[in-house]
Amino acid sequence: MNAPDRFELFLLADGEAKVTMEPDTRQPNAAIFTFNKEDHTLGNLLRATLLQNEHVIFSAYKTPHPLFPKFELRIQTDGETSPKEALLSACQGLIGDLQMLSQKLTREWELNKIARDTS
Amino acid sequence: MDDYDQLYGSDRGPQITIKEADNKHAQIVLSNCDLAFANSLRRIMLAEVPTVAIDTVEIEANTSVIPDEFLCHRLGMIPLDSTNIDDKLIYSRDCMCEMYCEKCSVILTLHARCTGESNVTVYARDLVVAEGAQLGSPVITDKEGQGAIICKLRKGQELKMKCIAKKGIAKEHAKWSPVSAMGFEYDPWNKLRHIDYWYEESAEAEWPKSKYADWEEPPVEGEPFNYDALPSRFYLDVESVGSLPPDEIMQQGIKYLQEKLASVIDTLGNKNEGGDGFGDGMRSPGQDYSMGGMGGGGGYETPYGAGGGQDARTPYAGGFGGTTPYGANGRW
Repeated sequence: MNAPDRFELFLLADGEAKVTMEPDTRQPNAAIFTFNKEDHTLGNLLRATLLQNEHVIFSAYKTPHPLFPKFELRIQTDGETSPKEALLSACQGLIGDLQMLSQKLTREWELNKIARDTS
Repeated sequence: MDDYDQLYGSDRGPQITIKEADNKHAQIVLSNCDLAFANSLRRIMLAEVPTVAIDTVEIEANTSVIPDEFLCHRLGMIPLDSTNIDDKLIYSRDCMCEMYCEKCSVILTLHARCTGESNVTVYARDLVVAEGAQLGSPVITDKEGQGAIICKLRKGQELKMKCIAKKGIAKEHAKWSPVSAMGFEYDPWNKLRHIDYWYEESAEAEWPKSKYADWEEPPVEGEPFNYDALPSRFYLDVESVGSLPPDEIMQQGIKYLQEKLASVIDTLGNKNEGGDGFGDGMRSPGQDYSMGGMGGGGGYETPYGAGGGQDARTPYAGGFGGTTPYGANGRW
């Protein structure tokens, strides 16, 4: 009846940004990024990838409320890079990794197909 | 990336091995990656890979015992062929047309009537796809070539309807999911102790062995527990409903995860330049990227693949600099 439309889970509303950055004033080199219309798929992935960066000293995310499709990612760095730079390089690294994975998958699938066809 | 890597694959980054595959399912092993990466892939294949499914039904006649809404729900669940959907169909909400058109939908018609004494069964094969449609034919994999049962008709009962199939993702409705199940398992010997098995006398004797147990070394008796160990091998089992073959589900999953990440780079990068050109209204995820908006034109090959995107993990220390393809062309 008054349930929100299901597409509101993944479609950005008018004028809504995918990500917004809010610097954390309580601590240096810290920022909170709010991701709209995203969930654990992206949140946990970014969190885990950021932690592999040696300049990131804190990275965690939360979903403020399970009914709202957004999450907040807090990043704190040691000052060598800014939280935003760390986030951007994490995204780029992942895109590269996924691209490699896709190529390996294509190759593996072709080999598997040949093996299946011959047997 | 050098030529060697391109030809023989690289040892860097996540590795993938196909254990067993056919046109309905694939068992794969993901290694050299973390739990979050494997889980994101699982989640995206399950919920965000688009397919076509019947979304709207215009009923002309339904004198069967099944009510209209019941029938519509059943029709929605029928898997329809969705191979290469991104080249063939756009989202209805992104289309300029008023209700639906051939660019954003596939029309299937169903007309069945029982005239004889015996009951008639209506199967998915009785759905007739509009002429010229490039996709959307019902998936039929059984030996008899009938497909799923839609309904049964007694003498004199009739079904006549027009079904409009649209593109969508499973986050909106599960009928758009390309997989019926996604197996996900790691650490078959429970060396990491992520599972606390309930037992009466002995967990080893009472619990069945994992089907992936033979793929990993059993724990050594008396070995001290490694508190720092992390899972690094993941066993995924992609079980397709038939709308997409398993390899395409996986490739699409990877692509949509890349697009998600690219949209983050895009928004944060644009803001940096002082432009306010982000969030330009309602649009389907990935639309502008797949249209060549990523600067590469020809898809992901150039910006992510060849231009050193692979090394983007190593220069974490150096931060976000001009060595990346994004930095070099000044877009971000």
